[in-house]
Amino acid sequence: MIGHQQRLPLTIAALGLLFLGVFLVWPLVNVFGASVLDSEGQSFTLANYVKMLGRPFYRAAIVNTLGIGAAATVITTVLAVPLAFSLARLPIPGKAAILALAAMPLVLPSFVSAYAIVLLLGNSGLLTVWLKGIGLDIGSIYGASGIVLVYTLTLYPYVLLPTVAAFKAVDVSMEEAAQNLGSSPARTVRTVILPIVLPAILAGALLVFIETLENFGVPFVLAEDLPIFAVEAFKLFIGETAPNPASAGVLATLLILTTVLVLLIQRHFLSSRRFATNARQTPPILKVGPGVRIVATVYCWTIVLLALVPFFAIVVLSFLEFRGPVLHGRFSLDNFATLFARDMRPLANTLMFASAAALCTGLIGVPIGYVVTRWRTGVATLLDVVATLPFAVAGTVLAIGFVVSFNAGPVILTGGPLILVLAYTVRKIPFAVRSAGAIVHQIDPSLEEASISLGRSPLQTFLRIVVPLMLGGIVSGVVLTWVTVASELSATVVLYSGPWRTMTVVMFQALEGGGAGIATAAASTLIVVTLIPVALLYRLVRRYELGS
Amino acid sequence: MSGIVIKDASRRFGSVQAVDHVDLTVEGGEFFTLLGPSGCGKTTLLRMIAGFCELDSGEILFGDTRIDRLSAHVRNIGMVFQNYAVFPNLTVAGNVAYGLMARRVPADESARRVEEALALVQLSGFGERKPHQLSGGQLQRVAIARALVIRPQVLLFDEPLSNLDARLRVSMRGEIRALQKSLGITAIYVTHDQEEAMSVSDRIALMNAGKLEQVGVPADIYRKPASRFAAEFMGTTNLLEARQLGLAAPVWVSLRPEALRFADEAPADWPRLQGIVARVELLGPLTRIDVTLGSGTVIRMATLDAPHRAVAVGDAVTLAYEHARLTVVP
Repeated sequence: MIGHQQRLPLTIAALGLLFLGVFLVWPLVNVFGASVLDSEGQSFTLANYVKMLGRPFYRAAIVNTLGIGAAATVITTVLAVPLAFSLARLPIPGKAAILALAAMPLVLPSFVSAYAIVLLLGNSGLLTVWLKGIGLDIGSIYGASGIVLVYTLTLYPYVLLPTVAAFKAVDVSMEEAAQNLGSSPARTVRTVILPIVLPAILAGALLVFIETLENFGVPFVLAEDLPIFAVEAFKLFIGETAPNPASAGVLATLLILTTVLVLLIQRHFLSSRRFATNARQTPPILKVGPGVRIVATVYCWTIVLLALVPFFAIVVLSFLEFRGPVLHGRFSLDNFATLFARDMRPLANTLMFASAAALCTGLIGVPIGYVVTRWRTGVATLLDVVATLPFAVAGTVLAIGFVVSFNAGPVILTGGPLILVLAYTVRKIPFAVRSAGAIVHQIDPSLEEASISLGRSPLQTFLRIVVPLMLGGIVSGVVLTWVTVASELSATVVLYSGPWRTMTVVMFQALEGGGAGIATAAASTLIVVTLIPVALLYRLVRRYELGS
Repeated sequence: MSGIVIKDASRRFGSVQAVDHVDLTVEGGEFFTLLGPSGCGKTTLLRMIAGFCELDSGEILFGDTRIDRLSAHVRNIGMVFQNYAVFPNLTVAGNVAYGLMARRVPADESARRVEEALALVQLSGFGERKPHQLSGGQLQRVAIARALVIRPQVLLFDEPLSNLDARLRVSMRGEIRALQKSLGITAIYVTHDQEEAMSVSDRIALMNAGKLEQVGVPADIYRKPASRFAAEFMGTTNLLEARQLGLAAPVWVSLRPEALRFADEAPADWPRLQGIVARVELLGPLTRIDVTLGSGTVIRMATLDAPHRAVAVGDAVTLAYEHARLTVVP
């Protein structure tokens, strides 16, 4: 018998699993299937794996991807932890501004940053040419070093933000106890504070690593001849030669296995290292001398601003005149004129897809987040795992799965706009589920019980009590989804077709075709499109906080 | 006015038998308290009645109607939560009107009943306030008004006073009791505080490890505890083997500290005990004194504050106890 308590969560869980089953598990099963079936698609074989792993080129792709990821992870962590400590505990002017600016790379498209690096430091880049003029040769920015640089500049907030929060959550009495027992301040940081914040640092570092594994745009712009997992999977699937789902499937499967493995290692490592500290107040700002203070201030501002320089440069460059790839130093709106004279549809598509996907993600992700947080049952755990899975799946891989699954058979979606919206929705669901879950966690369950005992059904209670209480968080989540979808590249380049190009595709094509002017104009437009909603949200949140 | 009948109710969480074959009848209009230490199953039992916890077996009836299979939202129960559970997104009036809206009560009648309910809990004029503008005691009143306004068959209280400070707790429990009696609603009240339970209840069910330990009026449970657990939980007591008091019977007895007096203040027919004062604890109105008897047994007594009598550790004293207040406990 299904108890009356279970009806609503079970219904939500069933619908959630159905959606994710069709639009996540099924495509992944097909990707895996393509990798283990022979060329006729009839019998099981590991020949594709043997063939792919036998080629030095693809073995190099694995090594490169993991090596670049590891390097970027280590460098971002090493840079971000002192930054986080400074922001949490040292007297630094303009902290609120630094934190706001530091969050911006999270919403700005990383391949735009990569492209800006090419324009500035590439073979004929502005800075390269200028530096050569004064006799300095910086060497090539292409390949591993450039990719690691861009990852560092765009991904460090993933470590910074949780670590700042963790430093602020350390109970002061822990420090006081350590010092009371005779520990010096430096030793206290090393032996007490760092172990407490370590889980947060590792969680952030893991996000960086997975982002690097899945990222398509940055290596596509910067890798040149260096083989990288996500790019090679894309080339095998879309490539100029005959598309090869089997080989692409092998790379895709290996990529998923790697991310899942990394996630499992992290889970295992963190399971024994959860330190709950319940700080009643944020720890005090440390008293330091002017020397430390100046160094810390310069350090913080340098990193934060350096990360934003590429985006700033792109915006400036987009208002200068290009002739082909060659830049002239005159102000001009020609780039935008060319971009929009051709076609306004990509911009309209971007806005439309982002809105539709943000809406769908909210509608699907929030109820799932509610169920997995409130109900600790087997079904809820299964739903939680499945809803987290997209996090381990690169956009390219999911998109390949979509094409394989929905270009024939009962559901045909390829060639239309819906397939893009669905792919975006699936990709963003883990974030919606996590953030919704975090808010639900803050809502006292007895509020819901009070509503139910006053005569509202569980569904009405969810709509009238839970949703209004979550509203602030839901709005933020929807805006963030909107913003990240608007600059999504990896799934889009596989799935777009004909009239359904987006701004990211326009930029992508301009990169391939060498239309630097159009590319910068498209990049600027993307930056504006992503920053306006975030700025509005920020103001809204501020007003809301001041109002209540 | 319907009573509540609980028949053979059980519920297990993993390896813990939270509620273990409980049979209970609560009379209509009665103020009934479930009392016990944390983890004894009192809250689980309350949540079964409210509909937030399903029964593994057994049934619950309101009057003649079986309700344990009904959804929580159609049971017509008013519940007051430990942390108030006042909806922070609604005004005070919005909170109180919430259950009326769910019942589609017309707006004008709803407004009138909300006013009445707020007046009943002395919050007239607070309707437009937001919850974050209220104190803990006021929030609790809102929660009570919200539970009363729907004219529930039963009022449930889940440790409603545990988040209030000590002074407010004492005055609120008196108000809750007076309100319940004036409205005549059957009430079930959960607490771990035996003094609170004795103060408000018509009857108390003392629970331990998912079972009912003893059910009765407060005076009986205090004075005639049915078990060692009951004797100790209901207040400080001396649990002794009868031979420690020089009695022949091979039984355990409970002797409350206030049943002991100094010999010179006691009637002559009370049995005497000789001993040395081991500890003196002045609590204000009450002084607790531990006395080590000749057998080595430590016995606790309590007297009202008596400045004229100076007792110090090491004094040899003679105590007397009222034999009638010696309770044999199984």
